[in-house]
Amino acid sequence: MTTVLSKRDVLTVSAPLQRTPDPWADFRQIEIVTLELTQQYAHSLGKTSRFFLELEARRFFATRCDGCGRTYSPPRSLCPDCLKITQWVELAGTGTVEAYSIMHFASGINDDVKQVELPGVFAYVLMDGASTLFPHWLRCEPARAHIGMRVRVAYTQAEHVQHPIHLMYFEEA
Amino acid sequence: MTRVPVVVGVGLTPFAANRVDASIRDLVAEAVLACMEDAGLLDLKAVQHGLASYESDHFNRQMTLGAILHDALGLTPLPNVRVEGGGATGALALRTAWAYVQSGLCESILVYGGEMNGRSVSSATANGLFALSADADWEMMVGGTYTAFYAAMMRAHMQRYGTTEAQCAHVAVRNRRNARLNSFAQKPMDLTIDDVLRSKPVAEPYKLLDCSLLSDGAAAVLLATEDWARAHGTRFRERPPVYYCATGCGTDTMRLGDRYPEITNFRGKRAAAQAAYAMAGIGEPLLEIDVAELYDSYSGVEIQAVEDLGFVPAGQGGAAVASGIFDADGYLPVNTSGGLLGRGAPVGATGIAQAVEIVQQLWGELPAGRQVANARRGLTDTHAGIGTICVVNIFERRD
Repeated sequence: MTTVLSKRDVLTVSAPLQRTPDPWADFRQIEIVTLELTQQYAHSLGKTSRFFLELEARRFFATRCDGCGRTYSPPRSLCPDCLKITQWVELAGTGTVEAYSIMHFASGINDDVKQVELPGVFAYVLMDGASTLFPHWLRCEPARAHIGMRVRVAYTQAEHVQHPIHLMYFEEA
Repeated sequence: MTRVPVVVGVGLTPFAANRVDASIRDLVAEAVLACMEDAGLLDLKAVQHGLASYESDHFNRQMTLGAILHDALGLTPLPNVRVEGGGATGALALRTAWAYVQSGLCESILVYGGEMNGRSVSSATANGLFALSADADWEMMVGGTYTAFYAAMMRAHMQRYGTTEAQCAHVAVRNRRNARLNSFAQKPMDLTIDDVLRSKPVAEPYKLLDCSLLSDGAAAVLLATEDWARAHGTRFRERPPVYYCATGCGTDTMRLGDRYPEITNFRGKRAAAQAAYAMAGIGEPLLEIDVAELYDSYSGVEIQAVEDLGFVPAGQGGAAVASGIFDADGYLPVNTSGGLLGRGAPVGATGIAQAVEIVQQLWGELPAGRQVANARRGLTDTHAGIGTICVVNIFERRD
């Protein structure tokens, strides 16, 4: 007999509550198969690439709109209010927590996130000189986290990271 | 003759954590057969258009699922369209169908949808897949998840307005209690506020029992002009006519941080509600709406919603919810179905199922305890992301 490699389970299910008479009464077995779907992408970080490349040099950049004066951190390459192309500006890398959550799980989106220490603080930070909030992990004792807390960008000492956004994190200032 | 769509029939599957016996085709067929029966139709031959509602190619592991479902239901060669709007998919599907009928593109349209969000993938994979609908270059790669974004919003709401975890817990208790009267609900529970407060922390201030469910399920609604309904819907004349009288939509930025300093509430929801109220001629929503299904993806989200829908002023949602005015025996009962917390949330079906609950309320067909007396106007509130796409639909009984 040929083996079906993807066959995971064959279940016998009970009669459905909402159908009488049950039209499936003569065959109650259900086969479950295992399927996989993985892909690799050559993904362009586009016009915000400079942010990530500057992080490698331990510099924290944002974009500013000459039209309205708003500074976007994270950077936006086009000002949504003025539809003008924004200009790069370097920020001091200090800021204030405006919202946060103490997380007891993290997604498994990449190896960097899998290494986040839990419980961990996921914080939205208003960088000094910016108009919007930057989300990242704040490495501190979770009980210390609060709205209004002063923080600064820290750069990883790790030998490598998988995604360039993890060249940085926040720490208490 | 008005072209405002009427509801000819509705159908649902039970929402469940794991419908191992069914594929997505089986589930949608189940909902559509229930809808046909409800409408008093023996077949779908008079229906003029199909509309497929589902969010994710990844959960269903199938692209062009709309075409597959349309085919499975025997609707070819009728025209078809697939609608996607994240968490708001089902409500946006109905809104699209509203426009198709109003425009004269068709006299009748079958809106069908569903999702396999239950156990076909692990919950870690599910969180990762949902994170794909966040900003993939920034929030997602940092490791942000919707649970984190919602939790941060609620923390800011608490800081600004003094909203409490106990007020959030009231929603979690009430909606799961409401679900006990719904035999199609996934998670009916009899809880106390303390049970919620003591449940496992997930993303503080949210605990496990503050979080809605991952579900398998499907839903269908048949909309038509009144003329079509009178000609074909044999049950239409037996029931008070229910009109899908108004719809509103509003949006907000993808990233919460780009909304600063407005991070406690849903701006897009306010815009959607205002548009729907203007269309329905509603000036005082708390007084003029009799029943509502609100998008309680997390317990505190319902508190934010009652503010943004204009039921109570900004900042008073927590106290209002805790006062019991939105309970089943309160002034404006909400989530009598159990909501996303108690009934469940198969994304493509969620917004449609909310409408099904409201329509059944207006027909007066629900069991005692769940049925709201003399309900004449009902509202659904559905959103994607953290209020990134918001849809408010209003149904009215006119007899």
